[in-house]
Amino acid sequence: MPIQLIGFLLVAPALAVVLLLFIVPLVSSVTGAFDVGGAFGFGNFTKALDLYSGDILFTLVIVLLSSALIGLFSVMIGGYLTLGTNARAVAILRWIYRWPLFIPFIVVGQILRTFLAKNGLMNNIFIELGLMTPAAAMSFLDWRGIVVAFVWKQTPFVTLLLAGAMASIDQSTIEAARNLGAKRVRILIEIVLPQVRQTLLVGLILSFVTMMSVLSVPLMINAQSPTMITANMAFRINAHGDYGVANALGLISLLMTSVAAIVYLRQTMREHSQ
Amino acid sequence: MKAKLIAATLVTGLFCTPLAAAELTVLTAGDQNMVDYVNEYLGPLFEKENPGTKVRVVGTGPGDAGSQKILERFEAQSKAGVAKWDADVAVVHEKFVGPMVEQKFLEAYRSKIPSGSLVTRANAKMALGTNVDGYVMPMFNSQTALAYNPALVPNPPKSYDEIVEFAKKNPKQFGYNGIKGGASGVSFVMGWIYAYGGDAQKLMNGPFDESETENWDKAFASLKEFSRNATLTPGNAGTLDMLSRGEIAIGPVWVDMFYSWKANGQLPPEMKLVLPSPGMPGQPMHYVIPAKTANKDLAQKFVALATSPKVQAEGIVKRFNWYPGIDAQHVQANLDKDTWQKLFTDISPEELAKNGKPFPIAPYNKAILEAYERQVSN
Amino acid sequence: MSFQIDWKWIPRGIALGLLAFIIFGPLTNLILWAVAERWYFPHVLPLKYGFSFWANVFSPRGNAMASLGTSVLIAGLTVIVSLGLAIPAGYALARLRLPFRGLILLALLIPQAFPNLPVYVNIARIFYQYSLNGTILGVVLVHVTHGLVYAVWIATAAFSAIDRELEEAARSMGASALRGFWDVTLPIAAPGLLASAIFVFLESLDEFTGTYFVGAPDVTTLPLLLYTAGSGGNYQIASITALILLVPSIAFMFVVERFLRSDVLSKVGH
Repeated sequence: MPIQLIGFLLVAPALAVVLLLFIVPLVSSVTGAFDVGGAFGFGNFTKALDLYSGDILFTLVIVLLSSALIGLFSVMIGGYLTLGTNARAVAILRWIYRWPLFIPFIVVGQILRTFLAKNGLMNNIFIELGLMTPAAAMSFLDWRGIVVAFVWKQTPFVTLLLAGAMASIDQSTIEAARNLGAKRVRILIEIVLPQVRQTLLVGLILSFVTMMSVLSVPLMINAQSPTMITANMAFRINAHGDYGVANALGLISLLMTSVAAIVYLRQTMREHSQ
Repeated sequence: MKAKLIAATLVTGLFCTPLAAAELTVLTAGDQNMVDYVNEYLGPLFEKENPGTKVRVVGTGPGDAGSQKILERFEAQSKAGVAKWDADVAVVHEKFVGPMVEQKFLEAYRSKIPSGSLVTRANAKMALGTNVDGYVMPMFNSQTALAYNPALVPNPPKSYDEIVEFAKKNPKQFGYNGIKGGASGVSFVMGWIYAYGGDAQKLMNGPFDESETENWDKAFASLKEFSRNATLTPGNAGTLDMLSRGEIAIGPVWVDMFYSWKANGQLPPEMKLVLPSPGMPGQPMHYVIPAKTANKDLAQKFVALATSPKVQAEGIVKRFNWYPGIDAQHVQANLDKDTWQKLFTDISPEELAKNGKPFPIAPYNKAILEAYERQVSN
Repeated sequence: MSFQIDWKWIPRGIALGLLAFIIFGPLTNLILWAVAERWYFPHVLPLKYGFSFWANVFSPRGNAMASLGTSVLIAGLTVIVSLGLAIPAGYALARLRLPFRGLILLALLIPQAFPNLPVYVNIARIFYQYSLNGTILGVVLVHVTHGLVYAVWIATAAFSAIDRELEEAARSMGASALRGFWDVTLPIAAPGLLASAIFVFLESLDEFTGTYFVGAPDVTTLPLLLYTAGSGGNYQIASITALILLVPSIAFMFVVERFLRSDVLSKVGH
C-alpha cells in the first residue's frame, strides 16, 4: 500500500468526526451569513463591520497581547522547571503554577471580577496590609481584566505542554553547555527553546483559538465598549434573533484564527519538507 | 481497541436505559432560584398530588440567553421533524413567546385549565405586540427598578430628571449595564426613551412607524452625555455585584434578582428599591406548553397547579417576594396582610400601577437597541 | 553550629511568593464564597460562614452526585475516543507525507475557532434526526469534536519532535513498524499525548452549551448547574460546584502523572 494511502486512512476517522459533526452543521451557518433577505449578499458583513469594527480590532489586540504574555510566562516557568537547580524550589513551582487550569472559564470570570474590582479582595488585601490607601484603589475590570483572566487561565495550559516537551529533549546538550559554564538564561534561549519551538507555537495557537471563542470572560469582566466579538455574537442572537450578523462575525473570527494557524503551518511545512 | 469496546458497551448500556413511566420535563430560563423553585417546592408538591409522576427540571441560564436556548431547542426539534418533543413545560421570558407562537410551537391551553380565568392582565394576551392569548400563563411578573443603598443615597432620585441631576452631582455613582449584559440595562434605556423620546404609548402599543425612530436622536445624545457620568457595569448580575461592594450607589436591577441576592446574603439588608417616573419596563415570565409534548395532560395539570392561587401565594409571593402572575386579588385572599404588604415595602401598589410599564413592541425594541449601539456606545 | 543561609532563597522566595499570590489570591475568593453566608461592602471578609449552600447543592433532588458521575463518565469516554482518533492521525500528520496536510490540521481547528453559539442549533437538529439527542454517546461525540483539536495538534507536535533516527535504529535492529512505534515512538511522545488527555478531559468536564443542546434533559452534567449559577451571579453555588469539579480534574491529572512517572518515563531512552 502506498504510504500516502496509509496516512490518509490513519487521519480519516478523526477528520470524519469533525466533518460530519461540526463542519456540515457549520455550512448552514456560513450560508446564513451571506443570506440577506433570502438573496445572496454581503449585507451582514457590512453591518458587522459597520457596528463592530472597533470590537474586532479590540479582540485582536487583546488576544495577541494575552498570547504574547502567556508565551513569555510559560517559557519562564517551563524554563525554571527544566533548568532549575534547587529541587525544592522546582517542586514548589510545579505545585503552584497549574491550579488555574482546573477552573472553568465562567468561574474564572466570577472570581477575577470579585478579586480585581475597586473594592475587591486584591485592593482590600493591599489596603489592610498598608500597602495602599483606599483612595488609590482602582478597578481593573476593563480590557486589563480580560487580559489578566486570559493569562491567568491559559499560562498553565501552555506551560504544561512546554514543560513536557522540555523534559523530553536530550539532556546531554544541556549538560554539555552547563559544563562549559553557560548561564541558564542562555541555555534556555539558545538550546532549549529552539527544540521546543513547535510545541510552544502549538500551545499558543490553541490558546489563541480558545480565547477567541470564550464568552463568559468578556461578558462578566468587561462592561465597557469596545468588547469582544463573542459578546457581540451573543447579543445579536439573544436580543435580535439575528443569526446573519452573528454568523458573519463568527466567520470573521474564524478568519482571524486561520491566519494565526497558517503562520504556524507554513513554518512547520518548511521544516517538514526538509 | 479494548478501551473502545468497553466504551461502546457502556454507551449502549446507557443508550437503552428506559425512561420512567411518567416523567415531566420542565425547561426553565432564569436564575438558579427558578431551578430550585421547581426542584424544592413545585416538583415535590406536584408529585404528591399525582403519585407515580416525576418532575425533572433543566435550567438554561439567566436572561434572554436562557430563553433563546429554549427557543432554539424547539426550532431544532421542529426542523428535525421530531414527533414527540423532549420538553413538556417551559418557562420563558415574555419576548420569546411571540416567536414561539408565530412558529406554531405552542399549545393553546389557557382555556383548558381552571386558573386560566384568573388572569386578565394585558400582558397575558399580547407579548411585545404579538397576540399570544391562550398560549401563556404568567408565572410571575417582574419589574425593573433602581436599587440603592440608603446609607450612601439618603434621598434617591424619583424621576429620570432627578437621576440625571444625581449623576451630575455624584459622578460614577450611578451604574447600569448598557444593553449587552442583560435586560436591566435595556430596561433603563427603554425608560429613558419613554421619558425623553416622544410618544411612549405608541412604543408600547404600536403600530410600528419607521419615522418614529427619528424622534430619538436627541434622547440618545443626552443619554450618551449622561453615560459619561455613569459607571457601566458587566451585566444584570454585574450591577448587583458593584452595588454589593459599594462601588456604585444606585442602579437599575430586576426586582426578583434583587431579592434573591439579598436572600443569598450578597447584598446589605438595608438596600432599597425605587421606581422612578415616568416609569421603567417590567415583564412576566410565562409558562408555555409545546404543542408536541408527549404528556399534554400532565403538563396542563402542572401549570394549573403552578398558577393556582394557593401556589402563587405560597411559592411566588411568600417564598420569593415576587409579584404574582395571576390577578392580585385571587392571591391576596390566600395570604395574611403582613406577607402581602411585604411585596410593597419599597414600591407602593399605586406607584407600581403608574410607573410599571411594558417593554416597547418588538420592532421598536429592536430599533431602540440598534440606535443605542450606533449612537451611544460608539 | 553550622547554620548556613542559602542567600539564593531570597529572590527565589520573593518570586515564588508573588506567583503564589497571583495564583491563590483569586482562588481564595472562590473558597471564601463557597462558605460565605453573608458578604457585602464594606466588609473585607464574609460576615457569616456556613454550609447552607452546600446543603442546597447536595439536596436529594438536585442530583449533584449523579450529575458529577455522568460528567466524569462523559469526560473519560471523550478522552478515550479523542486519543484513539488522535494518535494515528497525529502520527500520520507528523511522519507520513500527506497531501493537504495544512488543510487537514486547519479543518480540525475549526470547531474551536468558530464561536459555537449559532452552530449548536444545527448540530441539535442533526442529532434529533438520528436519535442521538439525550444520549451519552451524543454528548461524547460533541465533546470529542471540540477536544480533537487539542488531541491531534498536540499529538502531531509530539510526534514530529521525535528524532527519526531513533525509530530507524529500532527498525534496523529488526523491529516491525508497529513494534518500533509501540516501543520507541509512543513512549517518547507520551508526555505530550498525556498532557493533551488532560486538556481534553478538562474541556469536556467544563462544557455546558453542547451538553444542554444535545444531552439535556436526559443527560445532565454538573456544569449545567454551574452555568446557571455562574451567569446569574449566584457566587456561592458556582463556587461550590467549581470546587466539586476540581476533585475529578485533579484526580485525573494525578493518575496521568503517576502513569507518566513510573511506567513510561522509565522506558524513555532505552
